Amino acid sequence: MPARQAVSQVDVQHVKQMVLGRLYGRVALPELVGLDDPFSAVYTLLKQTVSSNEGNSALVLGPRGSGKSAIIDRCLDLLKRQHGATSSAKYYVVRLNGFVHTNDRLALRDIARQLLITQDLEHILIGSFADAFTYILNLLRSNFEESGAVPPVVFVLEEFDLLAQHPKQSLLYTLFDIAQSHQTPIAVIGLTARIDVMDLLEKRVKSRFSHRQIYVRSVQTLEQFKRIAQIALQINTDHNVSAEYASEFNQKVDQLLASDSVVSYMEHLFDFGKDVRQLLQTLASSISQLSVASPFPQLAPLTACMEREMQSAKLQILANISVLELCLIIAMKSLVQLGSTKYNFEMVYDEYKTFMSRHMMAVAAGGAMKIYKKPVALKAFETLIELEIVRPLSSVEGGAAFGRNDLLAGTAAGNRVPKEYRMVQLMLEPGQVMELAADRPDIPAVIRRWAQQ
Amino acid sequence: FANYTRCENTVEFINSVHDLLHDRRGQTHYIIIDQAERLRDRGPMLLTMLLRLSELTDTNICTVLVSNVVWDKFRPRHGGAIEPALVFFSNYTKQQILSIIEKDCPKDEPPKFFLTFVDAIYEVFHRNCVDLDELRHLVTMLYPKFVQPVYEKQANRSEFTRLFKLCQPYFSAASERLYLREISTSEWQKYSAEVTTETAPEDVTQSIYQMAESGDGLDLPYYTKFLLIAAFLASYNPSRLDAQYFSRGKTQAKRRSKAVAQDATGGKDRQQLLGPKSFNIERMLAIFYSIIVEPVDSSVDVQIQIASLVTLRLLTKTSAGDRLDGIKCKCNVSLETIRAIAHSVRFEIDRYLYNFA
Repeated sequence: MPARQAVSQVDVQHVKQMVLGRLYGRVALPELVGLDDPFSAVYTLLKQTVSSNEGNSALVLGPRGSGKSAIIDRCLDLLKRQHGATSSAKYYVVRLNGFVHTNDRLALRDIARQLLITQDLEHILIGSFADAFTYILNLLRSNFEESGAVPPVVFVLEEFDLLAQHPKQSLLYTLFDIAQSHQTPIAVIGLTARIDVMDLLEKRVKSRFSHRQIYVRSVQTLEQFKRIAQIALQINTDHNVSAEYASEFNQKVDQLLASDSVVSYMEHLFDFGKDVRQLLQTLASSISQLSVASPFPQLAPLTACMEREMQSAKLQILANISVLELCLIIAMKSLVQLGSTKYNFEMVYDEYKTFMSRHMMAVAAGGAMKIYKKPVALKAFETLIELEIVRPLSSVEGGAAFGRNDLLAGTAAGNRVPKEYRMVQLMLEPGQVMELAADRPDIPAVIRRWAQQ
Repeated sequence: FANYTRCENTVEFINSVHDLLHDRRGQTHYIIIDQAERLRDRGPMLLTMLLRLSELTDTNICTVLVSNVVWDKFRPRHGGAIEPALVFFSNYTKQQILSIIEKDCPKDEPPKFFLTFVDAIYEVFHRNCVDLDELRHLVTMLYPKFVQPVYEKQANRSEFTRLFKLCQPYFSAASERLYLREISTSEWQKYSAEVTTETAPEDVTQSIYQMAESGDGLDLPYYTKFLLIAAFLASYNPSRLDAQYFSRGKTQAKRRSKAVAQDATGGKDRQQLLGPKSFNIERMLAIFYSIIVEPVDSSVDVQIQIASLVTLRLLTKTSAGDRLDGIKCKCNVSLETIRAIAHSVRFEIDRYLYNFA
């Protein structure tokens, strides 16, 4: 077998950068799998606006990670290549995002910025949204050319459902109104993951909308799922990488994707949630290890990464807590098994003390396990609270409102109970506690047996 | 460091990052946020936006979130956040801890000797404390005491057992006082430095006692102490048994001790474990007058003392702030402290406590 030529540093770096860019979503994938129908629908719509100066609106609906933004990016890219050459066919693209543009004023200001309007707009923004927007369009017209023809503008509204939650939906109303009335050719494309987004729209907004909904489905078959991984990893020959390296790299990629553990992992992901991002992120663990010494993707880091994902996050965090903390957790588990739904530190400590004194003989013989005093145990307890394995039982189970600080510090007004007496709850199941104790080789046997009861 | 610009909202932030980093595509930039779980309270969009930063700003920027809480607990609820790659840091193993602390060895000490000491410290303390910082702190505080007999020619470096035995009382004082930060590092150094083997044994025990002392320093007037004891009894004893325990009539002689029915939870419903109950001021005063041996002259003083106890937060007022009658309070003091107080006024509190283990 002829000796393989050493791969150059430059090549490896280049490949690594390119492939990692694709895997992490910074660079678009070379082709979209299974998305031809939505793609052509969106492209036709955009083309009509840009070439024929028609106003259009549409909503692209689909679950997260199904490729909506990817379709839009690809369409805009194609449009640019086909239309961007001549200056007479100029058009603008404005991108808004519901996460970022949290109210209509900010959106309007950003629209102006993206349309390259540099005039100071503060005085006009105070008025109604529609007036302000018309003013902006007029400015655009006058900036563009003297003949008075208005350039088409493509509006891409991501996280459309969040934009629909602005008060009075004035942004959406104005955009749809102008799109429908054909005065200025604009295309309004909304992207959202909420299928029922139409219910969020007000009547007047809904009536101006063209009711054009384009559905993007998530990956249909396992083969398509695997194909996406393959496309992301393979090197095209039109990049400036040596051809031999590229072809051997692609071969290795095919081998990797055909190996048993990877196939079963992909099946697992596909059954679970068809999460393309997760798949690509896991594959990145192998690509990030590329170097001149090992220029081809290896299976070992991939297997390690897949295994890590399978483990429970909580148990990983708890793998190395001190023996005293483990004892307190086991005490809480016994309290739960005895029937108490809520307990406080005093009760937990009491249970711990009862157990230890009951097993004093075994304890003294086995290993020097002493009964820790209450303040030391309280410190261990507070560590558990900080890890949020133990949570306070507040009457209002809000999502964002309460935190560990409420239990430790106690607000002055409401909380009159000293901290040892505040009711808490263990956030682990009895099965998890048993698993936690079983994995530890360093705890005394008597503790382990206590956990297994 | 200098300010690039001021951002009032997300849009400005995104645009500023874009402007700043757009030209530097080749390099990766990082934003690192420690204690990231606190961001979940700061508005639902913040975390989502930070995780999507690379996409939103079209730059090569990487967000790193550092936290000791698992990601599941602060993942944004409404979806839309990109799952970050999770990297777990497991605890140090014993070997790793030993090699880290070994670097703390003072310059003029032999490393092997130091290492044996650190090993012993680890064995003693690791069951309740695995935190590297705490262990380092303990080692730094205890080592001078451990090695002191060598300098005073009381023992050789090779006589480990002897050295440990001499250091033993400091170990237990350390595990209680120093670890719990009941005394500060400088206080510890002050107390332990004063003691050498030249000093008399009583002084040694005195110093250790001072370090190990768990007294609260509650220095209250005589009657106030009884008030506090009465408050504790009112908080933890059921009111139906008051007549039994506190009446001064003939029933005082026979105090029937009722057998307490054990419930399924193994007695975990005891008032002792549930915490103090609220009681009426009148009830506390009734108990107070019953446990005081000699009669009290003025009742005004008593009211003033109650007010000062509330200010000291030894009693907590549970009724509404502006009610003038029917005031309810509860006692905020622990059993150990009350025992110490009762001991100081020679009051046998254990006879009056109901169902206390």
